[in-house]
Amino acid sequence: MKRLWLPLLLLVLMVADLFLGSVSLSASDVWAALWGHGSSDIVQKIVWNFRFPKMVTALLAGMSLSVCGVQMQTLFRNPLADPYVLGISSGAGLGVAFFVMGSSLFGVGMLSVSWMFDLGTAAFAWMGALAVMLLVLAASRRLKSNMSLLILGIMTGSAASALIGLIQYFSDAPALKSYMLWTMGSFGNVTGARLLIMTVLCLSGLLISVYNIKDLNVLLMGEEYAQNLGISLTKVRNRIFLATTLLAGSVTAFCGPIGFIGIAVPHISRMLFRNANHRILIPAAALTGACMMILADIISQLPGTQSVLPVNTVAALMGIPVIIYVIFKNRAVDL
Amino acid sequence: MSVILDIVNVSVGYSRHKPLFEHINAQLVRGTVTGLLGPNGIGKSTLLKTIAGLLPPLQGSIRHGEGAQKNNFCAFVPSQPLRAAHFSVRDTVSTGRHRYTNWLGIEDREGKQIVENVLERTGIKHLAERNSASLSDGEFHRVAIARALVQDTPLILLDEPTAFLDIANKRSIALLLRKLALEENKGILFSTHDLTLAMEQCDYFWIMTPEGELHRGTPALMQENGIIDRLYY
Repeated sequence: MKRLWLPLLLLVLMVADLFLGSVSLSASDVWAALWGHGSSDIVQKIVWNFRFPKMVTALLAGMSLSVCGVQMQTLFRNPLADPYVLGISSGAGLGVAFFVMGSSLFGVGMLSVSWMFDLGTAAFAWMGALAVMLLVLAASRRLKSNMSLLILGIMTGSAASALIGLIQYFSDAPALKSYMLWTMGSFGNVTGARLLIMTVLCLSGLLISVYNIKDLNVLLMGEEYAQNLGISLTKVRNRIFLATTLLAGSVTAFCGPIGFIGIAVPHISRMLFRNANHRILIPAAALTGACMMILADIISQLPGTQSVLPVNTVAALMGIPVIIYVIFKNRAVDL
Repeated sequence: MSVILDIVNVSVGYSRHKPLFEHINAQLVRGTVTGLLGPNGIGKSTLLKTIAGLLPPLQGSIRHGEGAQKNNFCAFVPSQPLRAAHFSVRDTVSTGRHRYTNWLGIEDREGKQIVENVLERTGIKHLAERNSASLSDGEFHRVAIARALVQDTPLILLDEPTAFLDIANKRSIALLLRKLALEENKGILFSTHDLTLAMEQCDYFWIMTPEGELHRGTPALMQENGIIDRLYY
């Protein structure tokens, strides 16, 4: 029973996310729409074409970023590491900047066609994230120390951010606004084929992460120990990077750079379960991350009002007090 | 006496242009405890890491004895083994079974029994459920040795296993190493600066001198030849 409360909480939040939203619908209407009878077309559309995909996207994003954060913190033995520490979000941002602001610079009118804009943004973000990851992978063949890799990742991210700044300088106002909106994060644009692609990519990343569990437990005790046990550090790193690209790369490509969850949830899970064994920690982080992300989504919808807040802001405002509590309670953040 | 480690003309260090110690020739046999002595910075840890396969030898070859698998012939215990917070002692020791567990790192019944036996033999059974981060240095050194033992290798290398420990813990670790050599026929090689303890517990000494020579022999012989005096007094 002790371990069942988290999946139960997730289930409750998933249902609540379907029932609550910026458009006020009665519980009976939503219930009827879920079972496909007795509700109007517009309610059916809101529930199945908007709220359901948004809930699934938040679920996938929360799981992916949290599991990714655990792997980065373990690989680098650094409590401050997060899914974006290797520069993935900056790479994705650079891709989106090229697409959004480049298309306006060269006079290509893609910003006006909604589906083309969404798909192009996701594709370019993914390519940017992949390019950064390939660069880090190539460097990891030469760099033996994980700490050197971490510094390289941070430098790559900074270089990408500098290039984004340069592109921004030469862009017009509508393109800048589109880019800024992307950076605020949103779960609302991932439907249909895009949701299917994101689901396949995230599930693949989660499966690889589960396969990494055995080696992650050893890595937590140092690289020398892992090597002594016959583990190839290069192979493990490559598998972790692949999982990171699939997880954080896909979430960033489809939802924008969702910060904070990836760094906060691993610590919250360690605090809740008092167990750093990855056989416990990975599923715990996936469930906790999904709960936090769906809760952030519910709050960002401001149920009962007509406004929507950026999910990135809500996630950060929710997570920061939790982390401060963890630090004050434990006096330290351990790995 | 069965040779478990044969070092032939090995040079160690981090750069071919600047080796730390050159032309090392030595053998190590099962069932014995060998102490590796020498001043700071001479290359003791580098030699241990080279034998453990964590660093490549700059030249020469390191051969394992008969019956040992190339990729599983020695376990290495660093001077300050890293510990993970919120990781139980039992789980920490179990990670040493990495080669033998399934894809998720789960032990079969026999593997679990091996871990329990090692916890018992190393005197840490009562700590099995404790968080590794909450242990004292002495207790965690025992955990690190237990973790090396479950790897089931014929040779165990330890880098200054008694550093930072009080006298009681030093003695208890040294006695444990002696017991492992005698009762389980392991070859034990450990570096140390504690000459008194080494004189008491070691069957052989490898002494690395600033002149670039590696002297090998029993503690009594090393003392008789004045090598220890030259090194420490």
